[in-house]
Amino acid sequence: MDDIMKRIVIEPSNRFFDKVLEFLPHLLMAILILITGIILAMILKGLFSRFFRVINLDRFSERAGLMEMLRKGGIKESASNLLAKIIGWLTIVVFIILSVRALDVPAVERILEKFFLYMPNIFVAALILFFGYLLSNFFGRAALIASVNAGLKVSGLIGKLVKITVFLLSITMALEQLGIGRGTIVVTFAIVFGGIVLALAIAFGLGGKDVAREYLEKKLRGEEEKDDIEHL
Amino acid sequence: MNNIVLRKEVQERLDEIKEADIVVGIPSYNNAPTIGHVVRAVQAGLAKYFPYKKAVLVNSDGGSTDGTMEAVQNETIEDFQSILITHRVGPFIKITTPYHGVPGKGSAFRTIFGIAKTLNAKACAVVDSDLRSITPEWIDLLLSPVIDGGYDYVAPYYLRHKYDGTITNSIIYPLTRALYGKRIRQPIGGDFGFSGELASFYLTKDVWDTDVARYGIDIWMTTTAIANNFKVCQSFLGAKIHDAKEPSADLSEMLHQVVGSAFDLMETYEDIWKAVRISERVPTFGFQFSVGLEPVSVNLDRMIDKFKLGAKELCSVWEVFVPKKVLDFLCEVKELSRDDFRIPDTLWAEIIYAFAIACHKKLLNKEHLLKSLTPLYLGRTASFVMETWDSSAAEVEERIEKLCNSFENKKDFLLKNWDK
Repeated sequence: MDDIMKRIVIEPSNRFFDKVLEFLPHLLMAILILITGIILAMILKGLFSRFFRVINLDRFSERAGLMEMLRKGGIKESASNLLAKIIGWLTIVVFIILSVRALDVPAVERILEKFFLYMPNIFVAALILFFGYLLSNFFGRAALIASVNAGLKVSGLIGKLVKITVFLLSITMALEQLGIGRGTIVVTFAIVFGGIVLALAIAFGLGGKDVAREYLEKKLRGEEEKDDIEHL
Repeated sequence: MNNIVLRKEVQERLDEIKEADIVVGIPSYNNAPTIGHVVRAVQAGLAKYFPYKKAVLVNSDGGSTDGTMEAVQNETIEDFQSILITHRVGPFIKITTPYHGVPGKGSAFRTIFGIAKTLNAKACAVVDSDLRSITPEWIDLLLSPVIDGGYDYVAPYYLRHKYDGTITNSIIYPLTRALYGKRIRQPIGGDFGFSGELASFYLTKDVWDTDVARYGIDIWMTTTAIANNFKVCQSFLGAKIHDAKEPSADLSEMLHQVVGSAFDLMETYEDIWKAVRISERVPTFGFQFSVGLEPVSVNLDRMIDKFKLGAKELCSVWEVFVPKKVLDFLCEVKELSRDDFRIPDTLWAEIIYAFAIACHKKLLNKEHLLKSLTPLYLGRTASFVMETWDSSAAEVEERIEKLCNSFENKKDFLLKNWDK
């Protein structure tokens, strides 16, 4: 009976306690690393927040249209605060990873390895989206101004179309980077974009052929109605 | 010669000539139909007014394909007796050369400045190649203040149709006058006289890859002369009649280059214009008279339509830097009928200053910013045309004077917000 008790209860319990005792220093080390990370994150957040304010980052991001994008997304914080917070959280994430590794559990390590290998893709995709947004704003505005100056009544629509197209392209590139529906997304984009262009071409060709002919005739024959005003 | 590339034969020709008293430059690009008249007027002017000066005519060409350079070489006055009492004594030399660099009038001028410096010219002039109203007297009026009066820069003062030179009348003249305090009526006239010293000074500036190399050259020359304390004056040349600009010349591009150059110069000479409080007249030479000018047809509806389209679509662009009350007014005015359509002087001055401030603070991409000015400029031009429809040339000049006063009065707005 004693032997059975020893084999069924006491030995596993001892092994368990041994494991716990073996694991405890790792756990304490992990907790210590995590606390250090949180303190360091708070310090870095404060330092970077000040630094970004000094270099006038808020004004730059306002000009670049980044703040407008964030406001539309419901974020009302200033760019300097936001970036400082991101740096703070990145620091905490790094220390969480370090503390998890300090636990010395193989299964967790494998998951972490996979996560680390995928991280650059997320970073590059985020960069593509960020620059895609900036470029879509830039080209959209350029198209809008150019079409207004050309006197096109549909200039608002042209500006929006250009903006959406450039942003869609960047979303496609970002998704491809993440490896989500790699072939499907590119093909879908090509079909949709090609379809839009074809639809516009057919619509313009059928609906505006007389206008186009008249315009071209005037241009070629130099009969376009305009001022004699000399601007310079 | 400050990295100015010249053909070997041109360089050899300059070595032969060695020195010149006067250099007259004509920039050109496909101006074969008109350049002959300009060359003859220059030749006659030099023969009549500067017979004992060694003069060189320089045609700086942008790659014409219509025989412009050949027209310059072949054009000459055979019989001076019909024009002059005395025959020319001094030599008259012609040089035609293609210029290098950014295609544009500024690059053509740079070559002319370079040649003037190489020949150690005392006085120089540049005249447009598309002029139909140039006379020999223009050469006298542009060069005499430099040769006899000790002036460094002679700006033109023309009679122009009331709706000719609208960028000058509504933006460049009022702005330049308010900023630098000199009442030079045609800061971007295109025909100037200047000293050899000023030509050399121009060459020291590193601006030849910017808009100065294109449409921005005229405002750059005028502002540089004023801001660096060169002695400036203007000469009354009479009527300015010239070929219409090529149809492909894009208004928004023109505005971008001219107004952009004026704004860039505000950065360069910030300390100068901030200290200027009032404007003063500059000495004006030449006998002033009035002439009848060809009527100009104006498409008002098209200008107002473009303004209204801009006010509808570009408010999101302007709201970044245009004061709210101005933006509200623009939204109101776009709803008005043609007869009630007006953009007041003070508001217009505020708009231009707001654009200058936005450019300075880099609130938007510069090209976008300046090209978005086009519909506003067209609206203002339409408003001005309607206001002055029945006005005489003198009355229009009074209206422009009023506009200039508005720009001067509103300068506080510029100063207050420039560094804010």
